[in-house]
Amino acid sequence: MAPVDRPDDLLRLEDLRVAHDGCDVLGPLTLDITARRTGIVGRNGSGKTTLARVVAGLQAPTAGRVTISGIDPAKDRRGALDRVGILFQNPDHQIIFPTVEEEITFGLRQQGRSKAEAAAAVTAILTRFDKLHWRAAATHSLSQGQKQLVCLMAVLVMGPRWIVLDEPFSGLDIATRLQLMRHMARIEARILMISHDPESFAGYDRVIWLEGGALREDGPAAPVLARFTAQMRHWGDADDLSHLAG
Amino acid sequence: MISLTSPVETWAHRWPAGLKLGLMSLATVALFATEDPAILGASAFGVALLYASAGARFARAGARQLWPLWPFLVLIALWHGLSGQVAAGVALTLRLLAAVALANFVTMTTRLSAMIEVAAVLLAPFRRLGLSTRALEISIALVIRFTPAIARKGGLLSEAWRARSRRRPGWQIVMPLAALAIDDADHVADALKARGGVLPIPDTDQKG
Ligand SMILES: Nc1ncnc2c1ncn2[C@@H]1O[C@H](COP(=O)(O)OP(=O)(O)OP(=O)(O)O)[C@@H](O)[C@H]1O
Ligand SMILES: [Mg+2]
Repeated sequence: MAPVDRPDDLLRLEDLRVAHDGCDVLGPLTLDITARRTGIVGRNGSGKTTLARVVAGLQAPTAGRVTISGIDPAKDRRGALDRVGILFQNPDHQIIFPTVEEEITFGLRQQGRSKAEAAAAVTAILTRFDKLHWRAAATHSLSQGQKQLVCLMAVLVMGPRWIVLDEPFSGLDIATRLQLMRHMARIEARILMISHDPESFAGYDRVIWLEGGALREDGPAAPVLARFTAQMRHWGDADDLSHLAG
Repeated sequence: MISLTSPVETWAHRWPAGLKLGLMSLATVALFATEDPAILGASAFGVALLYASAGARFARAGARQLWPLWPFLVLIALWHGLSGQVAAGVALTLRLLAAVALANFVTMTTRLSAMIEVAAVLLAPFRRLGLSTRALEISIALVIRFTPAIARKGGLLSEAWRARSRRRPGWQIVMPLAALAIDDADHVADALKARGGVLPIPDTDQKG
């Protein structure tokens, strides 16, 4: 699908800082993102989820500013609804409603769509993913990958210009991951994806590497990922030295 | 014990939520208006027939939902047995069983969004006064949705306890369970916020 380019589809972080309990966990970070596909990598605890939450407006920064397609996502919650959607690291934390249909409908009603419009949009998104038979399914009875797909549909149906994905593939088997990646490749919205797996960034334009809450590298996907992978191997090898031979 | 999902689609799913809730309220008032064990027994039997009419699979699922009630029923029977008011004990047990089973039947056969719509209609006068009732509507939904989830967490915690202990867990799991519930509440708050939080939605078709 051809991307619809709006001049204001810009994610701007200005001197962004986030502290938890007085302890700096992210920033200062100043970045402009316009790429269609941007990856975020870094070790555990490097601040990736914190960045995702701030971008999606779930958390206000301690200092500095976030602007996404013209609005402040933490302050303008109504405006944020059609600008940015987020897929949580754990789909169990995202699903609110007992059936697939209700889960997908909720966001649409929040956007002020009528019941009839919402029902039509639910049918459209389920059809697009070839999952019309999931409509009445109980969300708690779905597998992890199926839950992840429901969350993705619930976010996509709202038509946000940006989608933030926090490790969408963790806990999925290889086939499910490939299917989900294929679905994601077709998304028109701009994507900001966190992942530990360099292979999941196939086709990505740009990769941002965080280290201890600060920017370690930022640039075209392939070279940044290559250096990131080499560094991770190196750190991994360092741990291997403590293993006993035998 | 309150379940929102039935394993099968039944005739009762096609009834309007408002009608089901209305009939249930009337029946519950009636149950509390009588002391006659015969009438209460017939009512409990009637509720059992209701479950049976929805098919064997549904009835089995319903029975499983109601099973956690037994300690309360035993307690009531013991208490009344000891104090010699056997007839009153039987009446109370039957009434409780019939009322809870009926409520469970309605929740099993009604979609959560339909319940919220009924709440929205009932709250309409407050909206006309300019108050937002959306928070209350969502709260009702969340209580219904997360009561079984928290009960399940309690079950998992006691399993985790038993896996490493020879004794049964008691009050010791109350604190961790409370912590889990608070943790869950945090996640739900985030999930709600990610989709706009508690926004008042247009009133146009809430009455539908
Ligand atoms: N609510 C919180 N309270 C206190 N500290 C927090 C909180 N959330 C995150 N942190 C801290 O912030 C830092 C960054 O956490 P974050 O979750 O953003 O890392 P991450 O890069 O997503 O890690 P992972 O790869 O493990 O998911 C960590 O040191 C973490 O301990
Ligand atoms: Mg994380």
